Amino acid sequence: MRSPKLDTSFDSNPAKDFIRGEYDKAIISQWRTELGKQLKYLGLPAWKMLDVIEWQQFIDRFTTVEREENQQHLMFLRANVMNVEHRLHSLYGEFDDILLNGRDTFGHAPNWPYELVNLDYFGGFIYADLSRPKAVRKLIQNQATYEQSFLLIITQQLRDGDTAKEKWGFLKDLGKSLKSGILDTTLHPAVDEIISWYMDAEIPDCARQTLYMNSFLRDAGEAEHFDVACRPAIIYPGTGGSWMIHFVTDFRFHSGVGHKIASNQSLLELINLGLLEAREKGFVPTRFVQPKLSIRRKK
Amino acid sequence: MASDIVNTNQVDTEDSEELFYAAAVQILSEDLYPRKLEIIREYIQNASDALDDWIRISDLIPTDRTEPQIKVSIQQKSLLIWDNGIGMTEEDIPKLKRIAYSEKKVGEEAGYKGIGRLAGIAVADKLKITTTSYGDPKLHHFEFRAADMRRDISDKKRQGKNEPASPVIKRHTSTWWTDIDPDDHYTLVEIRNIKDSCEELLDPDVVTEYIGDIGPVDFSPEFEPGSLISDNLRVFVPDYSPKAICLSSDGKQVRVYKPYTKEMKVATPQFLDVRDPDNPAELLAYCWYTSNAEEILDKMRATGKIFSVPGEKVEDRRRFAGLVYKLFGFSIGDRSLPERTLWTVARVRAQWFTGEIHIVDKNVQPTTSRSDFIENVARAKLYAQAQSRIPLILNNYAQTISDNRRAYQDAEKAKHDLEKIQAQLNNGSIERSDIKVFKEELEKSFRRLGTRKNTSDKEIGNYQKEVRRLAESLKEELNNPKKLKKEQSVSDLAEALHMPTKARKVFLIVMETLQQHYSKDKDEYHSVADKIRQALKDKYV
Repeated sequence: MRSPKLDTSFDSNPAKDFIRGEYDKAIISQWRTELGKQLKYLGLPAWKMLDVIEWQQFIDRFTTVEREENQQHLMFLRANVMNVEHRLHSLYGEFDDILLNGRDTFGHAPNWPYELVNLDYFGGFIYADLSRPKAVRKLIQNQATYEQSFLLIITQQLRDGDTAKEKWGFLKDLGKSLKSGILDTTLHPAVDEIISWYMDAEIPDCARQTLYMNSFLRDAGEAEHFDVACRPAIIYPGTGGSWMIHFVTDFRFHSGVGHKIASNQSLLELINLGLLEAREKGFVPTRFVQPKLSIRRKK
Repeated sequence: MASDIVNTNQVDTEDSEELFYAAAVQILSEDLYPRKLEIIREYIQNASDALDDWIRISDLIPTDRTEPQIKVSIQQKSLLIWDNGIGMTEEDIPKLKRIAYSEKKVGEEAGYKGIGRLAGIAVADKLKITTTSYGDPKLHHFEFRAADMRRDISDKKRQGKNEPASPVIKRHTSTWWTDIDPDDHYTLVEIRNIKDSCEELLDPDVVTEYIGDIGPVDFSPEFEPGSLISDNLRVFVPDYSPKAICLSSDGKQVRVYKPYTKEMKVATPQFLDVRDPDNPAELLAYCWYTSNAEEILDKMRATGKIFSVPGEKVEDRRRFAGLVYKLFGFSIGDRSLPERTLWTVARVRAQWFTGEIHIVDKNVQPTTSRSDFIENVARAKLYAQAQSRIPLILNNYAQTISDNRRAYQDAEKAKHDLEKIQAQLNNGSIERSDIKVFKEELEKSFRRLGTRKNTSDKEIGNYQKEVRRLAESLKEELNNPKKLKKEQSVSDLAEALHMPTKARKVFLIVMETLQQHYSKDKDEYHSVADKIRQALKDKYV
């Protein structure tokens, strides 16, 4: 039986297809196996729902958020054409507002909790009102309320410079945090050295953003009793000529922990994750190689 | 032609006068559907017609293997109706703005009044229709901003302005198109942001029940007689083509079927046709019907009485009592309509059955509300022919069911009584003194069996005979003293009571006298003697 297809040619490119169809899919498959059940999805898939369709073998129900009325209508059409309309739960409004207020424009709430969250943002992550970081924190809090482990995928535009102030403040704090955890003060210069590298205005923002996002997610997750495991960020050329950056992070809930927990992945490992670059149908060696922080204790 | 009947007295300026004002659109759309669920019928009807149109040409496109279906979904405050039928063409889209404009031909498709496709504007903020037809590389979009139009009309009315309908409709509607795969063919209707006062449209249970009741859907595979009925309808009703309709809500998808379920205990369905008296080869209507049934003598048998299903309230239990008219698979009116239009006597008998009357003569047309048929010659002929056939056959059948049921029940009751007597006989607990009573019981059973002779159900007739044979054998056994309880003789009792010689003699004389007195009715003697014996025992032992 032929399944009619809506035209999808302008919403993806080979690099994005590779990340969605191979890189993410393999991680989601593993996550599905780990949780032992079909995953409930929350995301911003755009009306063609390329991710949902690609990953549908692992997904049970999916909640989508759409802020454009006609796009939402097309999403309904696409869901019917692809025979997934019965699994669709479509909310209408701004995603950040829905997370922060708990309801969409028509007063409907997400079906918490979720096992897979895919936030494919239009634009960057940090804006003046910090609504996106606040909304992601709220998302993590909601998941913690249900003690639900989840996989969080975030894709955003890489926009050089516009978040520099925020990130520099964060980098200073990160340096302090690292040094406070290392009692041997002779090792502190190594920390200063790498923080200085990230704060250098000349280095590409993708490196800063990688460290910032992974640290932000780890910090927000640990505060809600999640053991957070980050992966190297992936940069790839987007469809509109801009560069995109992509993060896939595991949040494993640990119940019974009375305060902030420490993830198995150390801060040092997180700093050294670095980033990958995807072009066409695979990874390519990246120009954005950051220095590794190496701290060995004196014997 | 309209141009032939121009009123020559009209002044020229009236030719360009607007005769239809915007408020009329609002009034029409809101008053046309007092029961808001009827709006769903309109879209299912359009979708069903689109599927029929597609099925007619699909053989020409062997590469397309899509299964024709209609999908209804509830998404928050939107109701969506999707079909993969023939879709609409570019030329069709501007016509969506036209009120009561239809190119469908009467008698060929379920909908034809050109009103239904805009039905949603009565209950929602927006109506959005997206469609494409096979071979068309464009996906066509139509939007009717109903809430904006309502506000606009109200504002204008407050200002005392009466605006003609056309500019208002044009202002609040938009059409556009986007690229699409030319092999695609479907239509999606979204009734968006439905008013709180119309929340039944967003209740999946209510909508499923409604579509099952009125829609062109098939019988559930779990309803055993469904396949027999469907097979007959396919043979005798030319347009019988049930559609696959699914309803999705809250992560669940259900296939919608007619409301007959496996829990319903029904008799084998019966069929009858209503023919055209002017041309007996032509059918006017085709009817199937059945009644409640019970397992009797290892077989489901019609049991009669008002058709009912399990339920708490009377109206729930009697939801399916009566027949319903069907036209192009859609219900016309409710189950009281055939009763009101066909039955003149014994109307309650109409409710003994559940079933459908499929109208084959397409000159019989429904009213806009689908609550009745338009009064015309075809309807008059249908009613006349159906009146002389359907109630007659069903009433007679009801009588037969009633007779058979009572015959069985009486035989069953008699058998039950007889088996009790037999059990007592078998364990020797019947005393001679009780025989009169037992014989009376037997006579009652014979009488009961006698009043239900000549049942048309052979197996019930055989059952009656079997019970009668049991009664006759018991009658014989009751006359056999060996089968009765051995009782104390008169002298034994005198001994047991330590009667002095004189008293004993007196007692024996009294009893002998009684025996002589009742010599023609020994059972009565034993009855009296037993009472005397019991009284003496109670007093002296």
